[in-house]
Amino acid sequence: MVINPSYEQRKRLLLVGILLTVIALVLVDAARGGSAEWSRVIARLPLLLTGSAQGWPITGGFLLNVVMGIASMAIATAVGTLLGLSLLARRRLVRQPAFVVMNFLRNAPWLVVLFAMLYLLPYRLTLLGVTFEFSPLAKAIIGLSLPTAANFAEVIRGAVQSVHAGQWESARSLGYSTAQIYRRVILPQAFRRMIPGWMNLYALLMIATSLATVTGVQEVVTLLRTTLSMESETTLVYFYLAVLAMFFAYCYPIALLARRLENKTKGDSL
Amino acid sequence: MTSRSEALIELDGVRKSFGDTEVLKGISLNVGKGEAVCVIGPSGSGKSTILRTINGLLPVDEGFIRVGEHRVHELRSDREMRPLRRQVAMVFQQYNLFPHRTVLENVAMAPVQVLGHDPEEVRERAVRLLAKVHLDGKESRYPGELSGGQQQRVAIARALAMQPEVILFDEVTAALDPETVKGVLETIRELVVEGMTCVLVTHEMRFAREVSHRVCFTDHGRIVESAPPAELFDAPQDPRTREFLAQVL
Repeated sequence: MVINPSYEQRKRLLLVGILLTVIALVLVDAARGGSAEWSRVIARLPLLLTGSAQGWPITGGFLLNVVMGIASMAIATAVGTLLGLSLLARRRLVRQPAFVVMNFLRNAPWLVVLFAMLYLLPYRLTLLGVTFEFSPLAKAIIGLSLPTAANFAEVIRGAVQSVHAGQWESARSLGYSTAQIYRRVILPQAFRRMIPGWMNLYALLMIATSLATVTGVQEVVTLLRTTLSMESETTLVYFYLAVLAMFFAYCYPIALLARRLENKTKGDSL
Repeated sequence: MTSRSEALIELDGVRKSFGDTEVLKGISLNVGKGEAVCVIGPSGSGKSTILRTINGLLPVDEGFIRVGEHRVHELRSDREMRPLRRQVAMVFQQYNLFPHRTVLENVAMAPVQVLGHDPEEVRERAVRLLAKVHLDGKESRYPGELSGGQQQRVAIARALAMQPEVILFDEVTAALDPETVKGVLETIRELVVEGMTCVLVTHEMRFAREVSHRVCFTDHGRIVESAPPAELFDAPQDPRTREFLAQVL
């Protein structure tokens, strides 16, 4: 028996309490006839996860959300790095446009950006003899990556600026050039501090992939709505709960790991 | 006193403002080769600023600064400052070691990456210098694993590894626990005895008295008085010096 629980202990108790309550509620509900509904959900689970009723081939579903998340994150990381380094540039001509772009994208609702991409990007674009086709999937990936890139740029800027000013002074007094200081001293230290922010962003992005349903791609929410049109209204809540659990099971461990890394890097500032 | 022409470091009428506050109001100072000069004075009197103008970390508004053959006030970019910085090393109050590199790497990286010296030769030099500051055996530790005094001695070894002609010490014992101060001061004393040119900003009056050839007292951005330590501490001429010494001694 803990007489005087610490903050950490109380937090853990609360989490365990919530988890037990949810399990209890589900069990009670299953005993009162919910199990029949759950079996319908389980029957549709392969479809929701992979987009085909047999579970193979993978044509959509939650796995498509995962693919979209990874693709968007890859683009966002590349674009965000460029944008973030531009934010740190000494030249105004580079820094200020980057600042405007970053703030615009960071403060735009993700859903609005997605709709904008849907209507702004052409179906087909020929550039220098190369033809790009913008499928709804490509549009969704690009649309999701833009706000993520802007947020990642801020993560980079914050991490670089959090490196103690004394590091600049001592590196300069050792004769390093600005480029060398970034490469040898600042970025290696900033990199460690970026990782938690980057992972958090990925978790957020993964959740936001459900918005891609507006582009009509066969991701999990789109499939859910088509499926539900064939199901009774009482089953609806069970299906939504199942999808909620999928996202939670995928994203929560990432957020947890990110927080753990964050606490680990907190100590090495000086 | 060193005459102007043979001085290694020469400052003349140096002025520097931060915004509306004038921190240096015409500093003139000569430091000869092999000389150890201590700069003392109340906080905010511009001591650390003087050091940072000598190696160009802070650009000056007015005045003349020469180190060896480098006319520091005329250098504009870090690139132009490079030859100067290989001659002038600096040790900081907060050590400012690179926390992501081991002790040995901290000492050896700049000579290889900046001066382009042979890595094998620099490694040997770094090991030798770490032994000199009594840190043999700590080569593969990270700075965070060392005490403040040990980190400061690593910083001194890092400065020495650049084979400088001058070392600037900026209140290097101010952030240390009392019991580790002694080792750092001992290391500096050895350097002075070996003939390294040193400019030290310090609050350690006893150390200043023992180790330096000359002490400068600064107040409100000016060097009020400059004399050999025995003279300055025992028979200060200026009332401000007397007042300051009465407070700290």
